[in-house]
Amino acid sequence: MSDTLLDGGTLAEGCHPTTEINATVNGRKVQRRVPNHYRVIDFVREELKLTGNKEGCGAGECGTCSMFVDGKLIKSCLAPVQKINGCSVETIDDLDRDAGMSLLQQAFHKCGASQCGYCIPGMVMAATSTLRRNPGASRDEIKEGLGGNICRCTGYQKILDAVELARDIQSGAVPASALEEDAEAHSFIGQRTRRLDAPAKVTGAIKYAADMFMPNMLHMQVVRSPHPHARIVRIDAETARAIPGVECILTCDDVPGVDNFGVFIEDQPTLARGVVRYVGEAVVAVAAETLDIARAAVAAIHVEYEKLPSLFDPHTAMHDGAVQLHGFAQNNICKHTRIRKGDVDAALASADVIVEQTYDTQSVEHAYLEPEAGLAYVEADGCVTVQSPSQNITHHRHMLARILGRPINKVRMIMSTVGGGFGGKEDMIYQGMLALAAIKTRRPVRYVFTREESIKVSAKRHPFNIRYTMGLKRDGRIVATKMVMVADGGAYALSTPGVMNKSAILGPGPYDIANVWVDSIGVYTNNTPSGAFRAFGAFQSEFATECHLDLCAQRLGMDPVALRRINLMRDGATTHTRQQLDRVLAVECLEAAIKAAGWDAGVPYRQGQGKPQRNDFNYEGSRQSYLIGGQTQPLVPRASSKSDVHPVKISIN
Amino acid sequence: MKHRGRGVACGWYGIARTAAMDRAAVWVELDDGGTVKIATGVTEIGEGVLTGLCQIAAQEMGVRPEDIVLGDNDTARVPEAAHAGATRMTYMIGNAVALGCREAFGRFRTAMGAYWGVSAESVRAFAGQVWAEGSASKRMSMEHAVHVLKKERGIVIVGSGLFTSAHTALNPENGEATPWQSYVFGAQVAEVEVDDDTGEVQVLGVWAAHDVGRVVNPQQVEGQIEGSVVMAVGHALMEEYVQHNGTTTTPGFAKYILPTALDIPHVTSVLLTEPDPKTPLGVKGIGEPAITPTAAAIINAIYDAVGVRMTRLPATPERVMEALVDRRSAKQPDEVPVAEAIS
Repeated sequence: MSDTLLDGGTLAEGCHPTTEINATVNGRKVQRRVPNHYRVIDFVREELKLTGNKEGCGAGECGTCSMFVDGKLIKSCLAPVQKINGCSVETIDDLDRDAGMSLLQQAFHKCGASQCGYCIPGMVMAATSTLRRNPGASRDEIKEGLGGNICRCTGYQKILDAVELARDIQSGAVPASALEEDAEAHSFIGQRTRRLDAPAKVTGAIKYAADMFMPNMLHMQVVRSPHPHARIVRIDAETARAIPGVECILTCDDVPGVDNFGVFIEDQPTLARGVVRYVGEAVVAVAAETLDIARAAVAAIHVEYEKLPSLFDPHTAMHDGAVQLHGFAQNNICKHTRIRKGDVDAALASADVIVEQTYDTQSVEHAYLEPEAGLAYVEADGCVTVQSPSQNITHHRHMLARILGRPINKVRMIMSTVGGGFGGKEDMIYQGMLALAAIKTRRPVRYVFTREESIKVSAKRHPFNIRYTMGLKRDGRIVATKMVMVADGGAYALSTPGVMNKSAILGPGPYDIANVWVDSIGVYTNNTPSGAFRAFGAFQSEFATECHLDLCAQRLGMDPVALRRINLMRDGATTHTRQQLDRVLAVECLEAAIKAAGWDAGVPYRQGQGKPQRNDFNYEGSRQSYLIGGQTQPLVPRASSKSDVHPVKISIN
Repeated sequence: MKHRGRGVACGWYGIARTAAMDRAAVWVELDDGGTVKIATGVTEIGEGVLTGLCQIAAQEMGVRPEDIVLGDNDTARVPEAAHAGATRMTYMIGNAVALGCREAFGRFRTAMGAYWGVSAESVRAFAGQVWAEGSASKRMSMEHAVHVLKKERGIVIVGSGLFTSAHTALNPENGEATPWQSYVFGAQVAEVEVDDDTGEVQVLGVWAAHDVGRVVNPQQVEGQIEGSVVMAVGHALMEEYVQHNGTTTTPGFAKYILPTALDIPHVTSVLLTEPDPKTPLGVKGIGEPAITPTAAAIINAIYDAVGVRMTRLPATPERVMEALVDRRSAKQPDEVPVAEAIS
């Protein structure tokens, strides 16, 4: 039976009309009968088990599934499987059958052009297409060629460098020895050692959770709340349960242990318990023989809700009398962090100028290219194992053990290759359901999110509203800073308490300020939960501070660099939390940045103030601007402009 | 018409867990063939930490990075090294690897010193070769040394390392604390071009300087800086997860707009590489610090270019246009500097 199940398409035959496909894939003839609704990506990944090409969005937007059909680059998530009948398909799995890695793949390896690796197979395919089309493609043409592929990790620069290197080696302009490892120096620390995992990433060989198959594996799908706040009146799953191939249906009643967990505050259930607090909250989970059956079961489950009043604005949510979303959080305040140093009111009274402004930062999606996925199974010794791209397996294991009511050594978490995280994969949002289903069915269970599901369900960057008041002396010295920040934490706490702490501690910036007042308040609402995201609150609060300093510089008629130079922390500074620092390199960083940029000192927006325009444009390290269609406008560089600028390294001894 | 402008912003960041003690542990074994096994609960999330840890271990153990086998994130097999976040991977686990390797290599030196009849201190190793300082004949491959110690002396070289970063919790009344042991500072300059007919902003260049501590792998530090800058370009100009009554109106990448290769500035990374004196290895981290100044530098550059101050992210073309139209219709003279106004 397991052999039949391994072959993803076979079981689906019973449910769906099928098509016979004859194609040549990576040089080999294949013949398969697959469901009519399969796309090319399904055929390649699910039917042929060629998992090098990934599915990142299912909508042709991200490019991870890019492959060749009769030599033409296509987004295989958009192409119906029938399109490849009689065609020749090339995927990343076998791009260079003779050498192991193609020239482009070797160049990606050399240049450090892979990080999480999830977008890289698609990038390699798009770059291959670009150089096949025009072996002498310019950097701008290369950029255009990769314009349909998204990368969230590398910043594209190293990818573009790699394609240029491959182009130049191919044309003979650069010797092939450029691909070799740098000569061994006296130390391995400090070397540009090539990534040890890069060959597996540039060839698509590395397996992410969604690439894993196990014999006898089930597929999970989840019923999610359409309402931001509602009471669950009744769940009717009888019709779904009767569908052949449905193996298990889980609700919160199936959780054997203590069903509340969280990173800082234990306020989350594995599956909604009596009430839903945001659109997309998991209510019922289904595990079935095929994905199609699991989807049919989800569609057949009827949940009756009683809508409750909802809160979407954190300021409203803090009002007395607002609906309480969690019993323990008065005024829906999840976390309030205070920093108090000196006497801000007295200092403001002594200031020559007081500058006030409000700043708003938005809710941001992590957009890691790998949507959430996981595989759970019970091992022969009874240990339940979850493999998922988790950023915190230690904590997830502890939380799982409590939810499952098991000894901790009977719970095992294995991190699968992470296709980007940025904080978004710190939260445990599906591992509990997977473990429960595996225990209940005694079979492996896999769950792969769609991009839409990932965006709807996973945590976002906290949007902040920041009221800023700063008092300064006429010479630019900051005498007092007051920041009042209100952040939308969404329906569950996740990392909100930590984010409030970090935004508060770092918010006033790397400046020596005697009088500081910070309130950082994270609030529960019925929006998508906010959570950990690269720079964890400091992105938002430091954004406000750095904008505000420029506003102050404008009001004082100063160069923004000069204003910062006056106020930056120096050796021995005391922080806003009264920590005594010893070595502080803040000024050195500022000087290094403006030196590299060739900064022309003076007040901003000189043109508008009738002053001579700044003269630091077209300096080494800036690119030409684009016209429509990605073409650059002609421009004569003032300083030398190399396409491959290596980092300036400053050693301070 | 297109206008150019430049903006600057600084940033700082605390490394490792906030206001709570942070710990990471590793086990080390000098294995057959002169290779090294390291077990630690590290999560490679794309930044290249596995390679960096192999470089550190290779340096400390006297072998090459490719001779290291790193057993990573499996709670049944490796000691706890906790989460991949808070810019703590190189800092916490890198230092733990160094400590574990130093313990193992100390044992190796003692054993080899006894075998050769020289002092432990004179035993050296690099890139798979072992020798006694000051002796021409006492030299062998690490593979042979491991064989000799196992076969003739019955010694298996192992070590363990635990790195702790001691932080204190915030006083709830006034926030007093030592939330981190080590800080990373940074500054960035951004150059933009603003089209005042469309509100479109292009970021042409970003110059980013950060004090990253001792650098393990400059290519990967640049990768983190370049990735941070481009993510911040997205945050500053185009990305927004929008909800209407709790339901998102940006449910896919067709609506949730991300930077592509055509939106990126040229990034120049400047690394200040003074080792952190508070840790055994001197390393810090860069994953998060590099994103803190970028968006403000871009927004400040927009002001420099066209005289409008965007206070709401993202500064989409529509919002920049709206601000430009507001400013034109108000016909306000440009702000009189306060210094002049006061006098």
